Amino acid sequence: MLYEINKLTRVHRGRIILDIPALTIPVGKISCLIGPNGAGKSTLLHLLAFLDTPSSGTISFCSTPVRYVEKALQPLRRRVVLVDQYPILFTGSVLKNLEFGLKVREIEKNRRRDMIEEALQMVGMEDFLHAEAHKLSGGETKRVALARALVVKPEVLLCDEPTANVDAENQEIIESILERANGKEKISILFATHSLSQAQRLADQTLTLKDGRPSDLSRENVLSARIVGQGAGRVICRLHNDLRITFPAASYSGTTGTVRLFFNPEKIILFRQSPGGVSPENLLSGKVVKIAGGNGQVKVTIDTGVQTNVVLSLSEYAEKPPRIGEEFLLHIPDEAITVE
Amino acid sequence: MNLLIESFKAAMLLMLAGDHDLLVIVGCSLKVSSLATVFAAILGLPLGFLIAFTTFPGKRLALTCLNTLLALPTVVIGLFVYALISRRGILGSLDLLYTQKAMIIGQIILIIPVITTMTIAAISRIDKRYRTTALTLGANRYQMAWVVFIEARYGVIAAVIAAFGRVIAEIGISMMLGGNAKGFTRTMTTAMALEYDKGEFVLAVALGIILMGLAFAINLLFHLFQGRVGSDAV
Repeated sequence: MLYEINKLTRVHRGRIILDIPALTIPVGKISCLIGPNGAGKSTLLHLLAFLDTPSSGTISFCSTPVRYVEKALQPLRRRVVLVDQYPILFTGSVLKNLEFGLKVREIEKNRRRDMIEEALQMVGMEDFLHAEAHKLSGGETKRVALARALVVKPEVLLCDEPTANVDAENQEIIESILERANGKEKISILFATHSLSQAQRLADQTLTLKDGRPSDLSRENVLSARIVGQGAGRVICRLHNDLRITFPAASYSGTTGTVRLFFNPEKIILFRQSPGGVSPENLLSGKVVKIAGGNGQVKVTIDTGVQTNVVLSLSEYAEKPPRIGEEFLLHIPDEAITVE
Repeated sequence: MNLLIESFKAAMLLMLAGDHDLLVIVGCSLKVSSLATVFAAILGLPLGFLIAFTTFPGKRLALTCLNTLLALPTVVIGLFVYALISRRGILGSLDLLYTQKAMIIGQIILIIPVITTMTIAAISRIDKRYRTTALTLGANRYQMAWVVFIEARYGVIAAVIAAFGRVIAEIGISMMLGGNAKGFTRTMTTAMALEYDKGEFVLAVALGIILMGLAFAINLLFHLFQGRVGSDAV
């Protein structure tokens, strides 16, 4: 394993901003961290880049626990490079920027130029060798920052939202750079993103973070429900607004009290008219209150008494796009429900 | 008014003729102030870096103390150093009183807070990502500090220029610790005060013109560097 994390926490001003009981990241793969803003993605990446110290717990890198003393950290940092969400380039030319990592590694001057040209070619920026770094556009800056990371031939490349705030063309280029770095250069990659589709496209493994804790994709719609009874092998419960939801008794051992329900937004089914052949259990009705698109998906928020998110693929959406205010029936199948 | 115009004309002639006494005084001023600035920079720049880079208990208090020291009157420093190096002082045996060394010591104390606080301000303005970027690219702490210095260089150089401007124009320390000895510890400001006391305006005006010229050149440099800092920030 590349990284093994055990009971890791990071506390900032008395607040736990990261709490990961256990996590492993495999070597040689593309792994993805997904989660909303403030989920702890950047904090975790900084810890994995050995730029920050955990408040408690351990991180092992290549089966060796990390010792947080400067002498031990610097050699590790030379094997792992982090590309920031908003990368900053040093004053001077692109050449000077790419030369920095090689200089600190005391690579001979005559080898440096070849390595720099190769790295710039890899990101399609070979014509920018002598360009002033601060005059590059956002997308070009990200690509040069990737080249600056790749030129030192790291074992691990960590990227914090590599395609955030760049145009579609640069997004595609950056994704292909990451794929090539992993495929051709055999660099293990861990990147953070908001985009589920990007994660699915690129990553061999995905970790979802929410409020600093590992989560999973099925936990988008989190609701608290009160168990009110059982019947026909199902647990019956009520949401705070008295909506009735049932789930198989086998998925929960308790018979009373309050449970947390998670509805996987990708597995909820939308109907415009009452569907035939669908169980009337967990069939809710509501109006569309919000539609948000991006990264090959559309998230439709429907107010059924509680706001419920449903994720549609672009093709599903394009077939007959929902409109704000339109009435829908939502069917929440058993496989969409997780009970805690 | 006539007196001023006549003095101004005579002063210009004195400067054009390259008057020996005038050159010695200007030379002494430049030497003492330059050395004080160099030594203060050697001490103040790393101190500024250290304070800017590290967090420690009482950092805010240390910054407040440094800012307070910016307003330290030169006569207070003069008195303090005098107490140390006079015959009865703990460093009396070194025979430093009324020497250029004593003036340099006093001036170093005067401008270390200037250099340190301005360095801290210059470093603090630099985006923290420069540090993390340098570290993640494999730099050690010194290489990382060098990256930050390069990014903050205009602000740091402006700190040194401002410090030189402060010492070249001070009089209290030079008078109290140097003693205004002709050809030895007489600086532009102490000579001007003496000439004024004697009612001899010509040399005082000539020195005033040179001092103003120097102050102008220093400010010009300072604004050039400040301008670069400003334009970089945009």
